[in-house]
Amino acid sequence: MSMPAELTQEPLGDVEVTTSDVERVERALIDASTRLPVLVFYTSAIAWLLLATLLGILASFKMHSPDFLSGPPFLTWGRIRPAHLNALIYGWGSMAGMGTAIWLMARLCRTTLRHPLLLIAGGAFWNLGVLMGIGAIVAGNTTGYEWLEFPGFSAFTLFIAYLLIMTWALIMFRYRRRGHVYITQWYLLGAFLWFPWLYAATQIMLFIFPVQGVMQAAVNWWFANNLLFLWFGSIGLGTAYYMIPKVIGRPVHSYYLAAIGFWSFALFSSWTGMQRLIDGPFPAWMITASIAAAILTIIPVATVGLNHHMTMRNHFPLMRYSPTLRFTVFGAIAYTAFSIVGVLISLRSMARIVHFTEASMGYTYMGLYAFFTMVTFGSMYYIVPRLVGREWRYASLIKLHFWASAYGIGLMVLLLLVGGFVQGLNLNDPTLAFSETTQTILPYLRGCTLSWILLIVSHCVFAFHFGLMLLGFGRTASVPTFLNPLEPNPGGGH
Amino acid sequence: MKGLQPLFLGIFGIFAFSWLGMTVVPNLQIGSLNPQTDEDGGDAYPVPPSGMVVRGARVYASNGCVYCHSQQVRPEYGGSDIERHWGERRSAPRDYIFEPIVFLGKMRIGPDLANVGHQPAVEEKKAAASSSGPAAGAPPAAGQPAAATAATAVATPPTAVAASPAALASPALAATAAPVSPSPAVNAAAPATVPATGVQAAVTVPTSLPAAIANVAGLTASGEPLPNTAAWHHRHLFNPRSITDDSNMPAYRFLYEKRRISGTGSYDSINFAGDEAEAPGEGWEIVPSYDAKCLVAYLMSRDQSHPLKEAKSPVTLASAPGKEAQK
Repeated sequence: MSMPAELTQEPLGDVEVTTSDVERVERALIDASTRLPVLVFYTSAIAWLLLATLLGILASFKMHSPDFLSGPPFLTWGRIRPAHLNALIYGWGSMAGMGTAIWLMARLCRTTLRHPLLLIAGGAFWNLGVLMGIGAIVAGNTTGYEWLEFPGFSAFTLFIAYLLIMTWALIMFRYRRRGHVYITQWYLLGAFLWFPWLYAATQIMLFIFPVQGVMQAAVNWWFANNLLFLWFGSIGLGTAYYMIPKVIGRPVHSYYLAAIGFWSFALFSSWTGMQRLIDGPFPAWMITASIAAAILTIIPVATVGLNHHMTMRNHFPLMRYSPTLRFTVFGAIAYTAFSIVGVLISLRSMARIVHFTEASMGYTYMGLYAFFTMVTFGSMYYIVPRLVGREWRYASLIKLHFWASAYGIGLMVLLLLVGGFVQGLNLNDPTLAFSETTQTILPYLRGCTLSWILLIVSHCVFAFHFGLMLLGFGRTASVPTFLNPLEPNPGGGH
Repeated sequence: MKGLQPLFLGIFGIFAFSWLGMTVVPNLQIGSLNPQTDEDGGDAYPVPPSGMVVRGARVYASNGCVYCHSQQVRPEYGGSDIERHWGERRSAPRDYIFEPIVFLGKMRIGPDLANVGHQPAVEEKKAAASSSGPAAGAPPAAGQPAAATAATAVATPPTAVAASPAALASPALAATAAPVSPSPAVNAAAPATVPATGVQAAVTVPTSLPAAIANVAGLTASGEPLPNTAAWHHRHLFNPRSITDDSNMPAYRFLYEKRRISGTGSYDSINFAGDEAEAPGEGWEIVPSYDAKCLVAYLMSRDQSHPLKEAKSPVTLASAPGKEAQK
């Protein structure tokens, strides 16, 4: 091994069997056809990310200083917090994820993107839906169900937008070049098909023909959990399955492991969710089934983790150079950690402590940020240069982005998990006055505000760098931007 | 891969399996429960909420109360909910069948609210008023320490507080306390009547009385509202830290209006006794908006104290065998 495959454009083993000039031209054509739609999705996503970050630090600060800006109704904590999470989920996460998925779909179907207007219209409607939804939340028009706060008109717009995007994806898949269907496409197809069913089923069961009583909460948790796993999880894992082999220039270690990982992931993770209602007013079997499913998710996590690890073996030193690899591997490792924490907080003995504490927020941020967002950043570092025909301008900004994100999210998750554990121990001690249990977590929450400052730095740097690329200020070079100058023989090779 | 049918079938099949297993089948089991009644069909629980309560639930949703407050009591083996007096028994699916929006919640930065509308204090007051002979003679000072503890330990139902307010306000209480009955029946009536109690008590008082005395039905000896009365909720929403020093709750002042006192003043203006620094000044008063009144009506309708046969409280559970034997 001498240098990363980004440089030499090595083939991806199973997927692209031969490398030739024809294929290289073909790839360039495909990339060019995806240029406008993917950049529309990425630009919107980054705008939402900045808004979500702003709302996030505001919500975090108000959490420990309740009198800060509590006067006007639209700035009350109870509205800023859902506005933040919805901007993060539907604005940033979904749009960035779909942008990456579109590009991957075109690349892996090996066909130029058809009907770009369908996609751009979908992206515009999606933006409109999110904008109306966040406006409604801030104005006090909220449904009251977590992660589903958008009122009907906004949810409907999102759904129409989604149908346009999904139609496009299925058309793409229909016209794909015959041949092998890569594991990433499995995950992407799953995500594209699961989301509309999930969203429609939930909207119908909560708002059109509402189910009775506590079943509303069950449907709400079923939705939130599956959104995290089947939507964000599928896109994130699919992206990692593409980026890691692509950058290091080796095929995926084992295709059987990948298949086992996919099916067990879909089967088990879609049954988790009710364990978050542990000891609640539900039949015990529902909760027990989810706990069992949560424990069984160890199988897909171990399979996927092992597969990535074996693919990466002997190539870890490349993380020193490739921004894509560094972000993606961080995300892949965070996925393993996220799943292990998910299993731990599902066990009854542990859930009785951390249930109703900040630990659940820590878990959510692990999935949404440490795993999904980091993988998405990685894919953007790979894809954007191929769309704008320029390389990233400053390696130093990429490094700053990585370290600010990594330390920011690491600190936040650690504080929320440890703080939640302490809070839970105090909550379970009835001799302690309730207000004291809240007081004990305040130092951790102040720490969270610090971590948000790191994340603000990270996101502003990234948005600035992305803006430079968009405006054509990237480097014109034949080699990608590496984080560190290439050494003659990095990491010993193999 | 040869043939994509298995892939598509698998994707749909797995999702259908999860959808059926996690939502449809449970819905068949607990999705169409009826209220519980006694043998004669009376004493129905739960009862449908009033229009104000439904609107209050919307206010609760739009201001994000659910992100800090849960509304579910876990059984005695799962956490300290019952020891913290958040309820006498675990919550059951039947408790929620008429809820307009179910706010089970996942966070307890604030205390659980499943039973915040359950007011043993009010019932004991009624009991005290019915046998008001010795209570009326008790000196006001006797109630003072108990009232102080009641103000600080919100979750603990005050027991001895009743004496002094009863002494102050026996005419007003006599009006509200007419239907005194054994405790289960009072519980049954509680969800329906409690939201209105504070208001009714005030209305029955002749309007010539000063505003401060009009709210007297739920006052401590020092003139502050008793925990979990309507007046207390309004004051708490307006300024949480005037009730609990280290509360972490934001103030919801935008739900209140400041206006000039006309005539004798509004019966529902906020009681600032003991926290005069917050008072709006001479000639002004703070009154709740209609949304605030609905929110308080909603909070005061939170009551799962009625016994359910599927969710025994630890106490009845312990004594259950004895009852079985009697039958």
